[in-house]
Amino acid sequence: MAPKQRGVRAKSSKADRSDEIMESCGLELGSSDDDAPEVVTFEDSKAQALRSVKQALESARREKDLLKERRKKRQKLFQEQKKRKLLSVELLEEIDSLQKQSQRKAEATPQDEEQREEELEEMTETKQEKLEHSRKLKGNYKVTTVKPQALSSFQQKTAEDFLQSRLYGAGSRRATTREQKSKAEKLKLRWIRKQIPSS
Amino acid sequence: MGEFKVHRVRFFDYMPSAIRAMAFNSRTERLAVARADGTVEVFNFTDNYFQEKVIPGRDGAGIEALCWARQRLFSAGLSGEITEYDLENLQPKSTVDAYGGPIWTLSSNSKGTQLAVGCEDGTLKIFEILADRIQFKRNFDRQKSRVISLSWHPSGTLLAAGMMDMIRIFDAETGHSAHRLLVERGVGACKSKEVVVWSVVFLSNHTIVSGDSVGKVQMWDGVTGTLITTHFVTKWDVLALSVSQDESSLIAGTSEGTVVQFQFLPCTVNDQDKDWVRTRTFKNHSHDVRALVHTDISVVSGGMDTQLVVRPLLDKVEKNTQESALRKIVFPHRSLVCCAKKSGLLLFQFPDHLELWRLGESEGHGKPGDSLPLKRKPEKLIHLKRKGDDHVWCSGLSPCGEWLAYSTVSSIRLYRLQIHDNIISITKVSKVPKILHSAQQLCFSSDSSKLFASCSHSSVIVVSLSQSECKYVHTFKPQPGCRHPVHLLHASDDGNWLVAANTGGEVHVYNLQKLKLHCTVPVYSSCPTALAVHPTTRNLITVHADQQIFEFSLLQKEYTEWSRKLQKQGLHPLWLQRDTPITHITFNPKNSAHILLHDMFMFCIIDKSLPLPEAKSQFSNQMTLRSLPESDRIRHSHSFKICKTFQPLLSLSLLEDQSLVVVERPLLDIQSQLPAPVRQKKFAT
Repeated sequence: MAPKQRGVRAKSSKADRSDEIMESCGLELGSSDDDAPEVVTFEDSKAQALRSVKQALESARREKDLLKERRKKRQKLFQEQKKRKLLSVELLEEIDSLQKQSQRKAEATPQDEEQREEELEEMTETKQEKLEHSRKLKGNYKVTTVKPQALSSFQQKTAEDFLQSRLYGAGSRRATTREQKSKAEKLKLRWIRKQIPSS
Repeated sequence: MGEFKVHRVRFFDYMPSAIRAMAFNSRTERLAVARADGTVEVFNFTDNYFQEKVIPGRDGAGIEALCWARQRLFSAGLSGEITEYDLENLQPKSTVDAYGGPIWTLSSNSKGTQLAVGCEDGTLKIFEILADRIQFKRNFDRQKSRVISLSWHPSGTLLAAGMMDMIRIFDAETGHSAHRLLVERGVGACKSKEVVVWSVVFLSNHTIVSGDSVGKVQMWDGVTGTLITTHFVTKWDVLALSVSQDESSLIAGTSEGTVVQFQFLPCTVNDQDKDWVRTRTFKNHSHDVRALVHTDISVVSGGMDTQLVVRPLLDKVEKNTQESALRKIVFPHRSLVCCAKKSGLLLFQFPDHLELWRLGESEGHGKPGDSLPLKRKPEKLIHLKRKGDDHVWCSGLSPCGEWLAYSTVSSIRLYRLQIHDNIISITKVSKVPKILHSAQQLCFSSDSSKLFASCSHSSVIVVSLSQSECKYVHTFKPQPGCRHPVHLLHASDDGNWLVAANTGGEVHVYNLQKLKLHCTVPVYSSCPTALAVHPTTRNLITVHADQQIFEFSLLQKEYTEWSRKLQKQGLHPLWLQRDTPITHITFNPKNSAHILLHDMFMFCIIDKSLPLPEAKSQFSNQMTLRSLPESDRIRHSHSFKICKTFQPLLSLSLLEDQSLVVVERPLLDIQSQLPAPVRQKKFAT
């Protein structure tokens, strides 16, 4: 361990006081150039370095924890929303049972009859199946197919929005209807005043 | 002569649609105009710019681009489909989905064999034009940004595509991009916004001209891929470009409503070096110019202010002649108003609905020019919305006001009306004969017992009406080989004659008692714009697009004496110089020598008993006649009595009680409902 070294200050008391004042204010005008640099022991700096590393690790851990918490909360929220959106368990059981019933029906009939009739029956049964599937279930649920035009109309809407925004959107420097009306009114009044001969 | 009570109607809220695209067919001299609501109109430039054909649009099918390929007309829009139009039956013939998303631009090569289509997803697709349809041929290399504009090189081997921030030159054989020309963005605040190349033109010397959203017109060298010059034309966007056939003149349309012309001229006299020089600026529009066409002699522009402006170039036509006049086509060249003469009802046709109004009543008398107080205000009785997506094509109201019919491209609907004081009932006639599925023109007979509907190939279907059902009676077919659509249909007041005129200039007269073709009026070179049969003399009056008037006697099957006299003397030059066509003819029951006609800016009563005006005499001499003493008036008066008090006129009819109904649509009312123009600082405002 290096011995503590302190430069001997051979200054007057006034200078000392002024030095102290300056140091306390944080100003080190003349003194920093003349004096030797402050001695900082190895232990001090080691301790400081360790402390800063610990702090960094600690803050990183805290941040990770915070993020984890947030993610957990979000996941919970999504699950709850999904639960609310999905059909209830009882409803699903009912649909399941219906499906099994109609499947059994469809399987039962072809075994009993001739081939051609079997095929017809199958066709009618599948039709009935379809109809049964689309009938109204308990509660306010209805099953419908999504129209395939949804995607193309979205593209069309984006294109229309692009055109509208380029020609009439922000930065297009267009006159508003209020401005137009006020201009027209001003011109009208000016013209009327012109027509009345001034006496 | 004529003292009428006039019902001055200004409650028809007719709103024209903005012009979105135009295409000119130089061989047939026809201009096709596509409007924002999907309507396509065809104007005949050789026949006094008459609006020959109107193909109605449909909801959700706005058109972005239009082009001719030989004699076939194609359009494409943001719905992603390419539509070919049947110009004989005035309907869309076939549609092909391009599967590239919304289509921004469409262009055919100079031979008319291929169509190039620029889509939202960045693809350029080539379709081959076959005899009866178009077929997908290939895709070019897919780009990252949407293709907004397209231009074929006259040789058909190269294509220039204007996209966001750049222009790409494609090789038509390989489909690969040969050059990429980067367009500079605007300065300041506009630096962050992408620049849109709204329009490109590929010239035969491999120069590419582009107009973009920053407001500059740039000339590029297509061989090396470098910029030649930049012209800053406007602070707003340059939306359209068009080049003349001989590539010596170029026009650019801007958002301000100006059209700037550039000409390829030598910079100094005796210099071989030619360059593009900015010459003229035309300011004929108040709103954005979206579509431009450069014909051989004129500049045709159209845009958001819905007016079609034809500006002849004074270095190509003779100054101060009829040919060199500026033409503005504002209103349609056909009637959108039906008047029921016996019951005082008016039917207004809109693209998506029909309105039935009852005229107001007033008492009292006054001096000519007075406004009479209203006893009962006009009221809207029925607002009938159309069914389906197709726009209303034509409509009709019977003279007694009890039957109403309208037709779209896909269906005809007939309604029975009952109006007793304030009880109005409208019932749809459900069983319309199957043969009636769409009509280009609808007309009721004067006793409201029959409905006439014109269908494909100039044929007319007659259907009889009774109580609440209608039965098919007969189909009138003119001679085979007649392929033009009927645009005028008129049933005479005595119920004996039906006259149908088509866009080929043929006028057929059918005898309703014998149910066969009576005669065909000799074909005149100009298309008829209005016709009517006189109730007592049975003379057919036709007025044509070049403002000629003919009177044809149906009983003798020849032109009348008066008509021959008129042709021999010729019409007054001021009559011939009018630029809007006559759209309606009607007669005065009290005076059989009177013919009432009107066009957009005047209405005229022709008194056949008076002498015809001389070419040098004053034409509109009503005011002077009034100031002359009685004895002198007879010497100076001539048969054409013009009145310009009511403008712009959409319709004029004479009711049974001798009052005139005048439907006006002031231009200011239309202008106040247009979308915003650009904000310009004008001096002293």
